[in-house]
Amino acid sequence: MKPALKKIARASGRSPSGTSSPMKQASKKIAPISGRASFGKSFEAAAGRMWPSLIAVLLALFLCGILLALTGHNPLRAYATLLNGAFGNKNRFAETLVKTVPILILALGTSVAFRGKLWNIGGNGQYTAGAVAAVAVAVYVPLPIALRIPLSLLASLSAGILIGGGLGLLRAKLNANEVITTLMVNYIMVQLLSWLVNGPMMDPEGFGFPQTPLVPEAMKLPILLAGTRLHFGLIPALLTAAAAFVFWRTRAGFRIDLVGENPEVAAASGVKVSKNIVAAMALSAAVAAFAGWVDAFGLHGRLQENLSGDLGTIAVVVALLGGLNPVGITAASFFFSVLVVGGATMQRFEGVPYSLVGIIQGLIIVFIISRVVFDRFKEARRVRNLVR
Amino acid sequence: MNRPLVRLSGITKSFSEVPANNSVDFTLYPGSVHGLLGENGAGKTTLMNILFGLYRPDSGKIFLREKETSIHSPLDAMKAGIGMVHQHFMLVRTLTVTENIMLGVPSSKFPFLDSRRVRDDIVRLSEVYRLNVDPDAPVSGLSVGEQQRVEILTALFQGADILILDEPTAVLTPGESEDLFSILRTLRDDGKGIVLISHKLEEILSIADEVTILRSGVVTGRTTVTADTTKKELTRMMVGRDVLFDFSGKKAPTGGVVLEISGLKARDDRGLSALDGVSLDVREGEILGLAGVDGNGQKELCQVITGVRESESGTMVFDGINLVPLSPKERIRAGVRHIPEDRQRSGLVMNWDIRRNLILKNYDSPKISGPLLLKAARIREQADEMIAAYAIKTQGGEEPVRNLSGGNQQKVILAREMGENPRLLIAEHPTRGLDIGATEYVRRCLLDRKAAGAAVLMVSADLEEIFQISDRIAVMYNGRILGVVKPEEGRNRVGMLMAGITDTNEDDRKRTAGTSADAPSKSGRAAGNELNPGEPEGELR
Amino acid sequence: MSGIWSVDFLVSLLAGTLRISTPILIPALGEIYTQRSGILNLGVEGLMIMGALCGFMGAFFSGSLWFGLFCAVLGGAVFSLIMGFLSITVGANQVIAGTALTILGTGFASFIYREAFGIRKLPPIVETFQSIRFPILSDIPVIGPILFSHNILVYLGWILVFVTWIVLEKTVFGLKVKAVGEYPKAADAKGIRVALIRYACVVIGGMYAGLGGAFMTLGFMDTYMDHMIAGRGFIAVSVVIFARWDPRRALWAALLFGGANALQMRLQAMGMGVPPQFLLALPYVLTIIVLVLVSKKVAFPSAFTVPYFRGDK
Repeated sequence: MKPALKKIARASGRSPSGTSSPMKQASKKIAPISGRASFGKSFEAAAGRMWPSLIAVLLALFLCGILLALTGHNPLRAYATLLNGAFGNKNRFAETLVKTVPILILALGTSVAFRGKLWNIGGNGQYTAGAVAAVAVAVYVPLPIALRIPLSLLASLSAGILIGGGLGLLRAKLNANEVITTLMVNYIMVQLLSWLVNGPMMDPEGFGFPQTPLVPEAMKLPILLAGTRLHFGLIPALLTAAAAFVFWRTRAGFRIDLVGENPEVAAASGVKVSKNIVAAMALSAAVAAFAGWVDAFGLHGRLQENLSGDLGTIAVVVALLGGLNPVGITAASFFFSVLVVGGATMQRFEGVPYSLVGIIQGLIIVFIISRVVFDRFKEARRVRNLVR
Repeated sequence: MNRPLVRLSGITKSFSEVPANNSVDFTLYPGSVHGLLGENGAGKTTLMNILFGLYRPDSGKIFLREKETSIHSPLDAMKAGIGMVHQHFMLVRTLTVTENIMLGVPSSKFPFLDSRRVRDDIVRLSEVYRLNVDPDAPVSGLSVGEQQRVEILTALFQGADILILDEPTAVLTPGESEDLFSILRTLRDDGKGIVLISHKLEEILSIADEVTILRSGVVTGRTTVTADTTKKELTRMMVGRDVLFDFSGKKAPTGGVVLEISGLKARDDRGLSALDGVSLDVREGEILGLAGVDGNGQKELCQVITGVRESESGTMVFDGINLVPLSPKERIRAGVRHIPEDRQRSGLVMNWDIRRNLILKNYDSPKISGPLLLKAARIREQADEMIAAYAIKTQGGEEPVRNLSGGNQQKVILAREMGENPRLLIAEHPTRGLDIGATEYVRRCLLDRKAAGAAVLMVSADLEEIFQISDRIAVMYNGRILGVVKPEEGRNRVGMLMAGITDTNEDDRKRTAGTSADAPSKSGRAAGNELNPGEPEGELR
Repeated sequence: MSGIWSVDFLVSLLAGTLRISTPILIPALGEIYTQRSGILNLGVEGLMIMGALCGFMGAFFSGSLWFGLFCAVLGGAVFSLIMGFLSITVGANQVIAGTALTILGTGFASFIYREAFGIRKLPPIVETFQSIRFPILSDIPVIGPILFSHNILVYLGWILVFVTWIVLEKTVFGLKVKAVGEYPKAADAKGIRVALIRYACVVIGGMYAGLGGAFMTLGFMDTYMDHMIAGRGFIAVSVVIFARWDPRRALWAALLFGGANALQMRLQAMGMGVPPQFLLALPYVLTIIVLVLVSKKVAFPSAFTVPYFRGDK
């Protein structure tokens, strides 16, 4: 033990930065950016982590099946209708993908905050803010389209940063619980949107409908699959997932993870905890606002009341179901789109209330967090054994 | 006297596979103080937790007053007349003394509280045993010694005639310990049976009537303490070999001043003054031991040096540069490293693997981080190197540190903090809670750093440790450095300083011991903050 | 129609304030137990919607409002066991557990309602609790209509303020609740069953929330709607923090929010120049402001949101 220690002490003793000569050689040998091998491994690990999520989903579906049977439905037929609704034909499948876009982006945004142990559940409000900013620029700013597009994006992201960063600041400096503040902003945004589409932004030629004018046709995202509503937004959505994958391997991502895991250690390691909380919230909300931007130009084309529906809550579930990692979230968001699109079909054709989807969501979270802790029990016991 | 109060027979308790107690026998008689001696992790606390109903034994029998009893919960234990004073006090800080005591006793006016009756009883019992406890004071305002007395009172209140104390002197000054012992003697003379868990030999020799020694969960000795009982004898039973580590040959010439602190003031989390003008210097190639009872500002001092707590006034000069305006990050880069007191809370991210825990302090250095991404391969390699160099027992770098034993967790911190050859190393209670092997390892590491020219500031409440490896010893009391002494000047001097007594001569010391029984010293840490530093001194004269 | 400063307006505003504060006050009182014991139950919203539904269905099918109340309290209690299980037995993150409870409650209530009543042109209604007429008192001008013109549930809320205070400050149970919330390990060492006390608090919180939800269907409106709770559960949670876990202060805090709500409704009805959406957003804005003002200063229970397992460090 002792000679080995001496060796490292001497090895690192020379240079102040601690880079001893064997270490230097080693770092030359390996390329600075992690190779494909490690990316592949991450995928594998993510797949391994997917098992529990799958079990949670199956359990939730099973319990809801019982509920369906109890209320006089045929669960198998209901679920078959659900699947058919999501995959039945080109159009339905396209709809499922259309729904995946905002869910995926929103959930990725949510996961940024969640990994920092900041419970931003204000996805709805931030999505709405992003969409409002986007449409406002698209409809009212008299600039060439080519400039209006980046400007609208900038406006959307700024709206998100403003909300997220602001609430992050309240949390970091004044300890205002972000769960409640982000949620209250959701309610406030619902009213704000309602006011806008009924008042200042109302379409003058809209026969009094509570909606804004359409954005210029040239600003709408192109359709990917002819004859469907599937728009180009799928690409930025997937790119966001890829960016998130990279982000968690950067210094900034490391810091957010660290502050989330243990702020005390983070502070001792020289990380500015408050600044990180603000940054994580701002980034999280900016990504959510980006979802609003994508949908504004890809799907809605204008503002209407209650634009976000229950996307924000779904994003929370998807982020958790995906284990807060981008690969898992991508899979989970697709699954949830199936559930949402299929659930609507189920209501239409089988008379099963759409709120079943809500029950499934709730149950999935319940099962996921129960499982995480089942692991913790096992771990804790293991640790105790080691200590004694 | 002959009929034992407690007889434990063949107690075995394993945590899954690892045995913590292996067929342990233990007997406690009324009217005696029974020392339960052993190193950290020897199974002392586990054994007593079994008696107190916190754990259930896998096998073995418990006899109370010669009647076989099964104890399923602390409630059972209390009903059976067993009281326990835990190492960490089991008091609710926001509640008053009376409220705390009411928590453990049934109310005569159930479902309502009977505060008045309990309060009167506290006053009465407190007088009988000279505990000097104010029933209406909130616990948060009490000194450590007072809190301990509240704990004892709680046990008495519940009618305990068997009293277990788990390392009761760990947080006390030598003076307060004397007070405690005199209370314990009164209780013993009153016919109570007292179990004193300890790893301090002097303590056992001075108060215990009998001693049972545990090592790795097995009883290795049992003896009556007489004038002839020697430390050496007990040590051998306790550790199985005569190890009082030999770190001799350490005297090396020390170099220039690395850190110079003067007039440093800071407040603690509650806004009370924690550092009241600390002045101190740490030199190249030395270990400066910072002795003192816990809570006299040591923690805050370390935080101010590392930069996670702001100072109000005073200067800190590190290698000629002013440290005060530097951020924690800049101080880390400059070579200030820190082994924190509570490794699980402030040293490690327990859920993370060893790899990521090793890069906490330098994740943004060019060595670890590329222009965009962290260098995964480099991080992996570094972890493998460190695991080998520090002999960390693990399945690999991707193992979460929460799976590691305490000693190996500490090694991860050592590897991280020492790997880059720190200029100044602050080691806070670096061996607390570690077993003998790990303790020795950590001390050697500190000596190695010193040999490599680092300035080491070691905070410890363990005088043994302080005296073993320090070149100089600074004693902290009530937010100040009361004195800096050489190890040769002896423990008495340090002990006195720890109690806030600067003027020491033989005479004084005797008087301290004499008066303490009647007037418990108030020099404890919590009260210390509000007290005039001169007061305990005056009181003792 | 008279102006803002008329006596009629003030009377109607204050009476409305008392009435509308009830569904915030009662759940907040329950949440005080829960939070004092160390658990943040963000699922109050879900519990309230379940209470609203159970109360409505109980009253609708039995024809008895009191039976409806009983169902609401029972429903809240049973449903809160999920929160208890997740936060106490499992030790899960309480924010997520609470969110799950809200999602689950919202989905479940809506599902059951649709299954039970289908889609109708006219929503099913019940006869609500009628205002109590106090002899003499109700006839006092100004004060009578403000204080003595309400239904039984409003007064029940006030009684519960007193009951909650007595239980927490003067009983053995209350002392145990505080100990468990501050230092569960010490409580355990003193023979208090931490999990049991916490379960009790969560269930009490559930019962209160159920009752608060039932006020919406049986005392305020006469029917059930999916979004009728509209964030009141979350507002109740911030009321608790604002009130620093004191039932008496919770009354004033709830009145503040009730006031904002009542003002909003009346101004809207009067057709003031202010867009109604701004007024509707008022309670939510107020919640954020209040939270910002007090959160820094208040001392949360030490073991707040920290699960307890014997043997953990």
